[in-house]
Amino acid sequence: MDKKLGVYICTGCGIGESLDIEALKKVATKEFKAPVCKTHPWLCGSEGVEMVKADMTNEGVNTLSIVACSPRVKFDVLDFSPALQDRVNVREQVAWVLPAGDEDTQMMAEDQLRMGLVKLNKSTPPEPYLAENMSKTVLVVGGGFSGMNAAIGAAQAGYPVILVEKEAQLGGFMKTMNKRVRPPYKELADVDLEGQIKKVEAEPNIKVFTAAQIEKISGGPGVFDVTLSQNGSSVTERAGSVVLATGWKPYDAGKLEHLGYGKFTNVITNIQMEEMARQGKITRPSDGKEVKNVLFIQCAGSRDENHLPYCSSVCCLVSLKQATYVKDQDPEAAVYVLYKDIRTPHQSEDFYRKVQRDGGIFIRGEMTAISEDGNKNLVVEADDALLNEKIRLEDLDLVVLAVGLVPTALDEMALNLDYRQGPGLPLTKYGFPDSNFICFPYETQRTGIYAAGCVRSPMETALCAEDATGAALKAVQCVESTAIGASTFPRSGDMTYPEFQMQRCTQCKRCTEECPFGAINEDEKANPLPNPTRCRRCGTCMGACPERIISFKNYSVDMIGSMIKGIEVPDADDEKPRVIALICENDAYPALDMAGINRIPIDPFYRFIPVRCLGSINLVWIADALAKGIDGVILLGCRKGDDYQCHFIKGSELANTRMEKISETLGRLALEPDRVRVEEISINDYDKLPVILKDFMDRIKELEPNPYKGF
Amino acid sequence: MEQVVGPKSSGGKAYDQSFAREVYQKVDSGEEIKMCMQCGVCAGSCPLKEKMDYSPRKIFTLIRAGQREKVLSSQAIMLCTSCYSCKVRCPRKVPVVDVMHGLAHYALRQGYKPREETALFGQKFWDNIYRLGRIDEKDVAQRYFLGHGLGPGIKLMLENMNMGLGMMRKKRMKLLPERPIKNVKSLRKMLDKAKALGKGGAV
Ligand code: SF4
Ligand code: SF4
Ligand code: SF4
Ligand code: SF4
Repeated sequence: MDKKLGVYICTGCGIGESLDIEALKKVATKEFKAPVCKTHPWLCGSEGVEMVKADMTNEGVNTLSIVACSPRVKFDVLDFSPALQDRVNVREQVAWVLPAGDEDTQMMAEDQLRMGLVKLNKSTPPEPYLAENMSKTVLVVGGGFSGMNAAIGAAQAGYPVILVEKEAQLGGFMKTMNKRVRPPYKELADVDLEGQIKKVEAEPNIKVFTAAQIEKISGGPGVFDVTLSQNGSSVTERAGSVVLATGWKPYDAGKLEHLGYGKFTNVITNIQMEEMARQGKITRPSDGKEVKNVLFIQCAGSRDENHLPYCSSVCCLVSLKQATYVKDQDPEAAVYVLYKDIRTPHQSEDFYRKVQRDGGIFIRGEMTAISEDGNKNLVVEADDALLNEKIRLEDLDLVVLAVGLVPTALDEMALNLDYRQGPGLPLTKYGFPDSNFICFPYETQRTGIYAAGCVRSPMETALCAEDATGAALKAVQCVESTAIGASTFPRSGDMTYPEFQMQRCTQCKRCTEECPFGAINEDEKANPLPNPTRCRRCGTCMGACPERIISFKNYSVDMIGSMIKGIEVPDADDEKPRVIALICENDAYPALDMAGINRIPIDPFYRFIPVRCLGSINLVWIADALAKGIDGVILLGCRKGDDYQCHFIKGSELANTRMEKISETLGRLALEPDRVRVEEISINDYDKLPVILKDFMDRIKELEPNPYKGF
Repeated sequence: MEQVVGPKSSGGKAYDQSFAREVYQKVDSGEEIKMCMQCGVCAGSCPLKEKMDYSPRKIFTLIRAGQREKVLSSQAIMLCTSCYSCKVRCPRKVPVVDVMHGLAHYALRQGYKPREETALFGQKFWDNIYRLGRIDEKDVAQRYFLGHGLGPGIKLMLENMNMGLGMMRKKRMKLLPERPIKNVKSLRKMLDKAKALGKGGAV
């Protein structure tokens, strides 16, 4: 494509008052020889937009640099697709945070423009990757309540569904349930599993495989090849995306001997209680007599560092439900609940009220001892947290342990992924197959595979239904995006993908190992084999590759490197240091924008370069920057570690590890290691960001100017 | 043979439902405490909590635990000044004020006198209403003070003289005795009837 550049400078929003626009235009027209360069007092107004469009039609302008506000705002108005376009942020990052008319303010704007123009120069229009024979079928794994709901959701949206259940019948755990508590959470409700199954069976878009296993899933979004085995034979189906809904298992009560389980006959789990209720009568297991005094012990194993460190979320509601079974059987029976906190998600507080109204006694405290007399009556001692004294509950016929739930993803290989990175889904710290639950629930660490229901997070049935629909919609979004060659979350719509200059590959395997999504396999000769539809376009592979042979059409090692080279570095005696901030687009960039919107002053010696993820940062940028006389480099990205916030899971972690290695390079250049810093920022940290930036700049000013200036 | 898991102490108070049932049935608004979820908002809101031996929340917890003596002889149930802070804030809509008064009445009926002064003041207040159909501040105060005996009564009066003068200056209290309301006889009839029904009375 022959590029014809048009630079459009908006002078509204205080930009015109802040900057010398004529000088800025010169950067475009003289330094970069832009054939078209115009200003407008209100570029995002219809007149401004028309001006640009007219140039596109009449002048053949096809490469646009919009010098205005942050790319995060007005993106719909200032969208001139399919032209190649880039936004130079001189509002939030310049005019709103630096003194108007100042020399340094002008220098900052000019450098921002230079970098933007280099970026455009080094970009080419994306050509979407389109795989062959793409499918829009959604594969749902697990035929329980969540799985059935996901299948119905996707089918009703008009997509073919394959529903796979390992047992002979659909229903999962619900088959063992006696009653449900569901919105509006006033009374017990029937489970109505049959109704649900009928709905699945009546849906022509759903193909059900029961008593079936998944032998293998290979390929990627749009082109998953699923090998199923059923009754000894196997079939292969193609699917576009996957919903994992394999549910949960109760926590092993065998480990709860300290609560009397396995020692006393009349200590049972909530699972056994449910079964008893379903059989019709709640009795003492020891002698079959009807129960008069029942105690529920909450958080049995949950919220306990030695067992499950998390709240299982449903067991409070289950005990409330089972307390109602007891009261319905005998209104005179005494029901006690020993709890830490009663947790009633959503509107289910109403059901808690009902149980209180029916006379349930709630005791906040912790069990300290349990004993049994000759008649198998139980006595529980506890520390009552509110009375602040020891209490005793005597003559108990039944003690029910409210055991929590464990996701099946922890030890079941339901998917058998044919990925170089292993057959299962990577799990986060509590064993749930999450990717980033705050920003994108349902996403797992394998693109196109979404988790729903209790395998994703503990939740009660009403929420499972909602969750399943959510995951089904994600699965649909995935097949639609993949069909046009676009990325899924978080770079939704991105049409680029990593391209490898394979001739120069040294088979070092860094890209295969570091890709957080398992998008790169390898062949027998250890050559990387990218699966572009699995890719989320984070650029981690690009940051990893020591040969620098991985690049995107609009994002490459050379591009950012050239942008850095484009920055003007004043002489050492000017006392104007230059510091590069490589700033992650996901959280840090919006935080910087917010600081701008709040007009919190920032230092004019920074040059901000947005990156897709800290993981995409190639060490060569830093080495080159320092060799050019840049005084310091700061990396601003998301939190890493167990509670990571990184939108690409491992990016910020990897960046940190790589930066540890940079000190070697710095040593070689005889520079202080302090010149490079990594900081974690979350999206709402906008007030902290200017402080972090100032702190780093202060440190840089303490150091001598970089001796490489001017060489 | 007895088996034990954990450090059994056989100490500690045993939970007993009989008192809770008694409260639910016999105390005015008593059943409402079933809905208490022990959040402590009432205790946090109560301006008198410093003076109370048990906060309202704790009273309710004690009731459920069956600790009858502690509750009925508690000062707290008679200290409630009906400020309504707790009642308007309780997320479970427990009418804490009504329950506290209900408990106080019940305690008195059961022969408990958790706070002599409160009981005495309540009695004099009630007598005043019964006699005049309204309150004569200085009359109630005088009778209350003298209710402590003549010597201590005079001492109390002297101690509170400045407050009395202040109230007069602000026209919150008159020098002359208050007159009975119109038709005070029919009010008395109503009060008698209420008493016969087991409602009202002095606290
Ligand atoms: S839901 Fe209730 S019982 Fe279950 S872990 Fe959470 S707080 Fe404990
Ligand atoms: S590291 Fe990121 S950009 Fe590279 S292949 Fe994996 S998902 Fe795609
Ligand atoms: S990181 Fe680069 S050199 Fe190493 S295997 Fe991947 S593409 Fe090849
Ligand atoms: S505010 Fe209401 S619910 Fe909370 S402790 Fe007091 S009475 Fe109970």
